[in-house]
Order: sequence, then C-alpha cells, then structure tokens
Amino acid sequence: MPAAPRLHELQQGFAAAVLGRSDDVAAWVDGAGLDPAARLRIYRNAVAATLDAALHDAFPTVHALVGEDFFEAMAARYREQHPSTCGNLQSFGGALPGFIEAIPRARSLGYLADIARLDWLRQLTVLAPDAAPADARAAADAAAVEPRRLHLRLHPSLHLLHSRWAVLTLWQWCQSPGGPAPRPDRGGESVLLWRDGGEVAMAAVDPATFHCIEVLAAGGDVAAAHRAAMDLDAAFDLQPCLRDLLVQGLVVAFNNQEGCT
Amino acid sequence: MSFLLPQAQRPIPAAAGIGLRAPHIARVLQERPPVPWFEVHSENYFAAGGPMHAALERIRADYPLSLHGVGLSLGSSDALDVAHLASLRRLVDRYQPALVSDHICWGAIGGIHLNDLLPLPYTAEALALMVSRVQQVQDALGREFLVENVSSYLSFRHADMPESAFVAELVRRSGCGLLLDVNNVYVNSVNHGFDPGEYLRAMPHASVREIHLAGFLRKDRLPVPLLIDSHSRPVADEVWALYREALELCGPQPTLIEWDQDIPELEVLLAEAARAEEELHACRTAIA
Repeated sequence: MPAAPRLHELQQGFAAAVLGRSDDVAAWVDGAGLDPAARLRIYRNAVAATLDAALHDAFPTVHALVGEDFFEAMAARYREQHPSTCGNLQSFGGALPGFIEAIPRARSLGYLADIARLDWLRQLTVLAPDAAPADARAAADAAAVEPRRLHLRLHPSLHLLHSRWAVLTLWQWCQSPGGPAPRPDRGGESVLLWRDGGEVAMAAVDPATFHCIEVLAAGGDVAAAHRAAMDLDAAFDLQPCLRDLLVQGLVVAFNNQEGCT
Repeated sequence: MSFLLPQAQRPIPAAAGIGLRAPHIARVLQERPPVPWFEVHSENYFAAGGPMHAALERIRADYPLSLHGVGLSLGSSDALDVAHLASLRRLVDRYQPALVSDHICWGAIGGIHLNDLLPLPYTAEALALMVSRVQQVQDALGREFLVENVSSYLSFRHADMPESAFVAELVRRSGCGLLLDVNNVYVNSVNHGFDPGEYLRAMPHASVREIHLAGFLRKDRLPVPLLIDSHSRPVADEVWALYREALELCGPQPTLIEWDQDIPELEVLLAEAARAEEELHACRTAIA
C-alpha cells in the first residue's frame, strides 16, 4: 500500500474524480459497503447539478430557445472546458457566449451566442453597483462646459450590446412565445440595458445613438461621442440622446464633479 | 442593555429563525412576518449593488441577521482566496451581522472551484490547516467566526480521528464558534455508521452559537443506507429527537430552518420554525 496522500494530492485526485478525469483517488475512499467510485459519483453528480443550475439561472433565454436536451449537453461540455474558477457561482458562465460560437451544431443558430451575451449582460446589470444619478443642478452646470472638455460618468448598471441579429425582439418573444418566432435575421439591434427600479430595462436604439453612448461609456468627451455618432448618421441629434440618459438617471457625474475623470 | 438597541442590532436570540431565500423576499418585505431572525447566503450578496441589496438593507433594519457562507473553501490546500475573504469582509462591514459562518470542508483546488461542500480527510494535517485558516478569517474579520459540520457521503481510509474529534479540536484550537448542524450529524451517523448521540456529547457545548435543521433524502435500492442532505424536505423525526438532545447539552441556541431545493411556501418554513420554537421552549422550561 503506498503512503497516505498529503492533503494537496488527495484534493487534486478528488477534483479529478469529480470532473470525470480519473478515479485514482478511489483507492483512498472507504467504500463501507458501496463501490468507492459510486460514493465519488455522488459528489460528481452534485457538482454537475449545481453548475448546471447556475447556467440555467444565468441563461434562461438560451435555455428557452434550444430546449432542455441541447442545453444540458452544452452545459456538460461547457463545465468540462471552462471549470468554475470562483467560490461565488454568480461568476460562472461568463465564457458561455464565446463557447456557443465555437459549437459546430450551433453555427446554424448564429444568433444564439448574442442571446447568451444578452442573458449574461442582464445578470451583470442586476448585480452592478448602485449609484445616485447626477442632479439637475449638476446637469445645468455641465451645460456650460465646452463639449470637448465634458465627460460623463454613466451608471454602472448601463451595458451595451450590438448584435447583427434581432436579439431584443427574440428575447421579448421568448418571454411569452405566441405566434411564429421572429426571424433573427430581420435586422441587427443595438441594445442598451440598465437597471430601473430594481428591474432590468432594455431598449433597442439606432446605431448612431448606440455609438454615441458607447464612446461616452468608454470615457470619451461629449464632442468625440457626437462626432462618432455623426459618422454613422449625419442627421444624428445629440440633445435627445443626452436628455434620455439624464431622464433615465444614467448620468452619475460630470467631469466638473468629484469621481469623474 | 439590549432593550435600548433597535431590534436589528440585538444579538441573535435563542429562537428559531429561517434561511431567507429569493422566492420569499417579496413577502417578507411586504408582510414582515414575526420571524426572530434571518440568515442569508453570503455569496448571494457579494455583488456590489442591485435589488438584492436594496431588499436586504430593508430586512436588516427590522431583523437580526446571520451571514452564512458556502464558498470560502477553508480546508483547501490552495491558499485562502483573499478576494473572497475581502468580499465577505465588505459584507460584514455593511450589514453588521450578529453571526458569520462557513463550513468545515473544502471546495477548490488548483484554482478550480467545485462549488460544493467537499469532505476533508480527518487527519492531523487537515486539522492544522483548518485551524490556521479559521484564525486567518477571524483576524481578517476582527470577530468570532462560526464553522459548521458538513454532511458527507464518503470517508477516507487514512483518517486518523473521528469527525467529532476533528470538529471539537478545530473549535478548541482556533477559538472559533460552532454552528452545529444537527441534520448533518444525523445524516453522517447513518452514512458512516456512528452513534449521533455520542457525536453530540463530544462537541464543545459552550462554543455552540447556532444550530441548523433541515430535511434529507433517503437513497433507496443501495446495499447500505445512504442519506443525502438535500435541504428539500421537512426536518425528519429522528432529527427532531436529536435536536432535543442537542438542546439538553448546549442549552437553548439560535436555531435555523434551512430549505434550498423545492422551496415551499413561507408558511411551511414558519411551521417548521414554530416546531423548533416548541423544543426551545421546552428546553428553557426544563432549565428554569
């Protein structure tokens, strides 16, 4: 009988068994009336069930579109290739959109990866930090600042997704499927997500508005954001875009205030 | 002096609380049921903001709170995850819970997390590691930390002490508190064939700060009895009997009803808590 394993070696062996890679650690498991490997399988199944449940929670729309069998098979392969790296399950699943893109069977469902991105961004939106919107007086002060010197700090819950597919329309259909599903290739959608009163709000916006907000979110000044939007649409009007951001409470600070760079 | 403190700042009473889970939060906010205290899973609140925190802030204003972790992986031979510990510290600072706990187990190795409460070998090496980890956590949090005995479905051939000795020695050497899960004691007594009463008698009774109760599933069609700690059913009669024994040994303690799978209506949990409350009352009366 070899020497008893040190804790590190035992835990590596246990993880290998749980991940389905090797049952060598069974030599150190007391079967006590059962096959030691069967005892290890209890843990293997429990770990798989926990991770699969986390993926179900995070990707409800992907699940609705592909059905249980496909989702389960995908989840099993995903957790093999992308094991959890965090003690907090809310972090598990971030690589699923890219993983879906690489699945040969999912190629015919080109929009599925973007649906996964939308699901994941919805979760990030729910969990994002809180921040109080800038007040009217701060906005009035900011109006006097030259646009090329004006930066906006946007709400941490604001997320953006540009897709060549009709992801938001498809998402909405999945909430109460009735009638024929919308064609995913009916035109791309640029989606804003943010938190409104504890709920995730989403809106599809025109590409120029999307690009304007994207530049602002990346720290660009208002003049640069305006130019970027005008490059896409010469008729783009900056004022309604900024007004909507303010009205929705999505501007947290201006560069004339502390905390905005 | 506790009568001068707002309800929520009082220590957790030796009364029966319930584990607060997502499906019940809206009702608790709306109806404010007369639950003496709530416990939540720490990791569910690791995110910086959002509606979960908004709800917990409101609940915390009216109820004493306990934070119960499942992801610290104290017994892993990997270094303790300092980011996880920092998140816990932030949560403790924010909510000032009366109790903070995690499990006597491991869950990660080589940076891979299995996100489960995995069994330790009950060896001197694992004990020394657990003692140092619990001390590290108590130092980081600047307060007493509770460790909970876990249920398990296997044991290791090279164990050199029984689980009860491991748990008792860990608590004694690290100076932490014990969260005694009576259901886990019962589940393990069946799964590993020991006397659960003897286990309870081996515990450091003065260090018990909290008791957990939950329901298990019985696996059929196996050559040996096997119970799964599923948190999916009412507390079993055998566990109520063991709970009575635990109260006789430890005195009345804050007791929590846990239910995590197939979560029923709030009333079912309240009824389970009421039954625990009867046992607590009987225990108080016996002492008086």
